[in-house]
Amino acid sequence: MATGKYVSDLEEGDRLGPVDYTLSAFVIREYAHTVEMHQPCFQDGDAITMPPTLVHLDKLRLYRHACPMGTGPDARIHYEYDCEVFMPIPAGTELSVSGFVNRRYQKKGRTYVELTIDLKRRSDGVLMIRYRDTVILAFQRAEAA
Amino acid sequence: MTKLTLTPGTQVSSPYRAMTRERMRWYVDAQPTIAADDGRIHTQEPTIHDDDDYARAQGLPGIIADGMISTNWIHSLLIDIFGAGVNGRSKLSTKYVAPVYENDRIRAVVEVEQALNEAEGAVCVGCKVWCEDDKGRVVTFGNATVWV
Repeated sequence: MATGKYVSDLEEGDRLGPVDYTLSAFVIREYAHTVEMHQPCFQDGDAITMPPTLVHLDKLRLYRHACPMGTGPDARIHYEYDCEVFMPIPAGTELSVSGFVNRRYQKKGRTYVELTIDLKRRSDGVLMIRYRDTVILAFQRAEAA
Repeated sequence: MTKLTLTPGTQVSSPYRAMTRERMRWYVDAQPTIAADDGRIHTQEPTIHDDDDYARAQGLPGIIADGMISTNWIHSLLIDIFGAGVNGRSKLSTKYVAPVYENDRIRAVVEVEQALNEAEGAVCVGCKVWCEDDKGRVVTFGNATVWV
């Protein structure tokens, strides 16, 4: 187990979370505004829903929880986003997010880490979003660093 | 909402947008702001998306955009085409295959690959999706499945 230190230390089989939180309307509006998604489903009234892409910040939520010492020696590069959403998630929903490190592997001198994130409704454990995130731990190849 | 004919090969694209320094920084600032969730803007340590010196120290020529901006521009186009139901049932997968530098002009593109009738009148639409610059260089590509 490599949790409790840096993100760059994560190993296959590591479990992150769960972390519970309540999805606020502010978070939905702010995230959508940040990426210029001004559709009413994100901005207007009490019935707004979570953009599924916001699950990307749940990864950072898990990192903060499981890797409190931070990123590590190099900046990460996001390589792949792979998300399936099963139902709309309205503002005010109480959620529980957890992560599992599927793979840590080398390719062309770089280290990749693949993390699966499950976002569930806290009240009944129903899976609402499953997200697979792949990052490269450093832009510079090992032999060039 | 943009009307799309569900014929394989049909394409819809967003207008080009310059990936300005501000657009990159908005995504950086969103991260601590959303973590704090207190209604105020928060900032974080320098990143490769908002600090040229830090980016160069990481081996990059300058700041690059977070790939999630491209993914969100694709998701936004899917909503414009297929409606807000995309937020409730869909799949979206994107890979970041080339860096997006400051002031690169980027657009999102959705191309219908197939549309299959399902039970109860739903249609499952499979699409290729990508972001490209104004020279045709693909920076992000992937696929999406939506139900309409």
